[in-house]
Amino acid sequence: MSKLGQVVESVEKYNKFVLDQVKRARTDQKFGRDLLGRWNDTKAKIPVARTPTGLPLPRLALPEIDEPGEIARFIFSEGLPGEFPYLNATYREMYLEPVRETESFEKNGNKTGKKITQPEEPTRLFSGLMLAEDTNERFHYLTRHQRTHRLSTAFDGPTLYGLDSDADGVFGKIGEGGVAIDTVEDMVRLYDGFDLGSPNFSASMTISGPAPMIMAMYIAAAKRRFGTKVVPKLRGTVQADIFKEVQAQNETIFPIEPSLRFLTDMVEFTTREMPRWYPISISGYHIGEAGSTPVQQAAYTLSNGFAYAEMFAARGIPVDQFGPRLSFFLDCGLDAEYIALARVSRRIWAIGMRDVFGAGPRAQLFKLHTQTSGRSLIAAEFKNNLTRTATELILSYMNATNSCHSNSADEPFTTPSEEWIRLAAHGQGILLEESGIFKHTMNMLSGSPGMKAVERAVEAAILDEFREIERLGGVLAAVEERYQRSQIQNAAHRYEQQIYDGTRPIIGLNKYRDGDDEVPEVKLVRTPRAKQQLQVDRLRKFKKKNTDKAKRALDNLAEVADRGKNVFPALLEAAEVCSLGQITGRLQEVVGRFRPMV
Amino acid sequence: MPSPIRILTAVPICDGHDSAINTINLEFIRHGIEVIYLGYHRPVADIVRAAIQEDVQAIGISSYNGGHIEFFAAVVDLLRKKGADDIKVFGGGGGTITHDDAAAMRRKGVDEIFFAGTSLDDMVEFVHRRYGKPRAKRPRPKSFDQELAHKLSDIEEAYGIGKRKRRTPNAQRRTQSVKIANPKAQIANPTVIGFTGPGGAGKTTLIDELVLRFLNRDPKGRIAILSHDPSVVGEGALLGDRATMINSQDDRVFMRSVATRGQAGGLSPATHDCLALLAQANFEYVIIETVGTGQEAMPFQKNGIVDSTVLVMNPDYGSRLQLQKIVMLDLADIVVVNKSDLQRARTAHTEIEQRLEQNRPVRRSLGASGRDQQLVDTVAKRHRDSGVDRLFELISK
Repeated sequence: MSKLGQVVESVEKYNKFVLDQVKRARTDQKFGRDLLGRWNDTKAKIPVARTPTGLPLPRLALPEIDEPGEIARFIFSEGLPGEFPYLNATYREMYLEPVRETESFEKNGNKTGKKITQPEEPTRLFSGLMLAEDTNERFHYLTRHQRTHRLSTAFDGPTLYGLDSDADGVFGKIGEGGVAIDTVEDMVRLYDGFDLGSPNFSASMTISGPAPMIMAMYIAAAKRRFGTKVVPKLRGTVQADIFKEVQAQNETIFPIEPSLRFLTDMVEFTTREMPRWYPISISGYHIGEAGSTPVQQAAYTLSNGFAYAEMFAARGIPVDQFGPRLSFFLDCGLDAEYIALARVSRRIWAIGMRDVFGAGPRAQLFKLHTQTSGRSLIAAEFKNNLTRTATELILSYMNATNSCHSNSADEPFTTPSEEWIRLAAHGQGILLEESGIFKHTMNMLSGSPGMKAVERAVEAAILDEFREIERLGGVLAAVEERYQRSQIQNAAHRYEQQIYDGTRPIIGLNKYRDGDDEVPEVKLVRTPRAKQQLQVDRLRKFKKKNTDKAKRALDNLAEVADRGKNVFPALLEAAEVCSLGQITGRLQEVVGRFRPMV
Repeated sequence: MPSPIRILTAVPICDGHDSAINTINLEFIRHGIEVIYLGYHRPVADIVRAAIQEDVQAIGISSYNGGHIEFFAAVVDLLRKKGADDIKVFGGGGGTITHDDAAAMRRKGVDEIFFAGTSLDDMVEFVHRRYGKPRAKRPRPKSFDQELAHKLSDIEEAYGIGKRKRRTPNAQRRTQSVKIANPKAQIANPTVIGFTGPGGAGKTTLIDELVLRFLNRDPKGRIAILSHDPSVVGEGALLGDRATMINSQDDRVFMRSVATRGQAGGLSPATHDCLALLAQANFEYVIIETVGTGQEAMPFQKNGIVDSTVLVMNPDYGSRLQLQKIVMLDLADIVVVNKSDLQRARTAHTEIEQRLEQNRPVRRSLGASGRDQQLVDTVAKRHRDSGVDRLFELISK
């Protein structure tokens, strides 16, 4: 049985354990009394917030139960926020206003106006356009009102495929759909003006195939600006999710096995040297966007996660070292499953990590970034997209996501423009800061009977998917025989069919359509030719300047890769003097190119 | 019946958005179009080379990652430069291509851009209306590959319209010339190798890996591939081998995808003549790949043009008894057990080895090329696989 099969067993076993505890709480009087006592203590300690209208509300809402069996069910099956199995939340407090305005039931509670550090805003907006300096300007614009600077970087096509801007036939794609990065010098420009070593800064980079090379460039750029001492302080995430690329997104540059090997090399390095870095973001978003059902999205994301954990453990990286450095990324659309998809994922992850991988508490957390669904947005009557995204935002925060990106309403037909980006960002402000839905009571909308019903159904369906993958020999075997890919394509086809036959209503498209089907006038963000040429010119200059050094670095890299050693130290050296395309090309000579699955 | 419309479809370089094109491909073939699918992340040069070699009527490009104005224009320009502007270009990109973009692209010579919301029916109708007319007389080919491609089309057309060859004099001459007993006598002695075996055994990947070895070893020579996919008379076909081939997209490789157009047994009615033509066309190697075949198939049995035949097997062939029924096991010069990293592969190797042992006395008595059959284990998906190296040595002897 692979680890995934063991995960299925561990969840089944845990569910049985919960039932046993419920029974015990009802039969074993002492156990029941203790639970009740603890429950009452917990409730008494919950601080109270005052709303602007003067209404007192608990910062955490707990169910009105006083029967030991039900208390046991809540404590063990869901867990308080920040407690195993983390159904409710990874942390004790989220989204809440600073406690300055709160009082406590406790007699000696903290009522002084002591300065309290504010948590990071959960808003993290994805951005990347034209050249590094242009994206840098956009980053400064986006974060100008924020306490903390959480940047999320989109790369252009050539970068995502590990190619240089001067590669044959990519000219028109330079800086389109994301930022063009060829060298460490571009990386320096990209985050110019931000303090990379600050605890208030973090950089997220959405790139997978060439992730180890881009990561090496980021480190090299940080070293250039702040010296080698900055490395252990760097905070951020690189996506680096090879499985989902092969399953859904098609941006893979090496065959699967060496891709996974280079990824593990990077993880081995960052978990040791950069304790605050997330070297992988296990992503269901692209699986969802490629057309999967919500259950498939969660099941493939979780099973990919367990497969990575198995791989890293096999490399000898301790689970409590890599576990806390894994992060997740899910899509949130409008289907009913999204009422609890992330909640259930958090629970399965925690149980599997604890009971199959022996992970400690910090390594059990399913730390989640959510993005609202791009696929749910349409061009027809596109202003409706604001409502779609707002609804998805509520669902995301009901699921206690750790951070969230809200899509711009103009996304279906263009690279988002500033007006719609601002509206998308303000949507989050309105929900979290203006409305009273989350800021007084973190779990205001959790725990309804409907939500519980969704939780049960979704968990059972995810475990069924796990069993199917296990039957095929585990994640890697299933990926190689295109199992997930075919399933996703099938689901995508069904979705389109439902839109076509009207069983899936899309307002303004197949329902309440006004007939006015004009594509809105939009000002497109396109990279001017002169900028594209500038990128090519400075890349060529860089290559010329470093010809000899690059050759030595690449020879060394090729040799290390050929011997099967960890390539990351050699990549760090190469990143100083080589372009992305040079590194990709050389590694492909050694390990081959990815053969597309169709 | 005249040849179906042939269309090449592809997604541009640095773009992995293949879900739209996958749907469109299926719709095209359902409506009688032969689609040569090149796959995603494909550069201009690969698209134009493939379009010329496959002699398609048009190229359909699905672009979602930006840079479409430049990319489409580059395809049109390169076609023109290669003297192949009889091949038209159309495409789409959902909401990523604006009306202004489309106008600019049309000015640069693109036939049509479909916007978000265009129905599949409209696209099919467009292709039939715009590219369904018989081709006008074409100017003299500008390159060797183009000439070869035109001739291959003529041969296929001649067979399609049922021996009425007088309407295509070129094809007539060609079909006559291949009646020569040993056509290879006329040419610089290429090695013609036939690959056959069940679907999913990895023939295409294996051929692509062999091509890589050939290109690396031989700095100048060229190689031709005639690749078959099944189709019914008068119907469409998805010719998708190119999409998974990464090494064979090279100026030194001439590849042609052939639909069987109703013929059983793994090859097309036109195969023999096409192969004869390729065998005279100055390639070092000519590789022919059949469709995925059944147990009874013996596609190369009567075909004197093929120098050696390779049967590619999957380790999962069922029970040992099944091996007795596979006719090609008697005939193939080389038997490959691909995917030999699978658990089942060791058993497969042993069983097939025994099966080949039985043939030995018979083959010797028949003097069958005087060689024993070879058995090779490969993992074609693995870069620099030693089994594929060995196979390459065997066939290049």
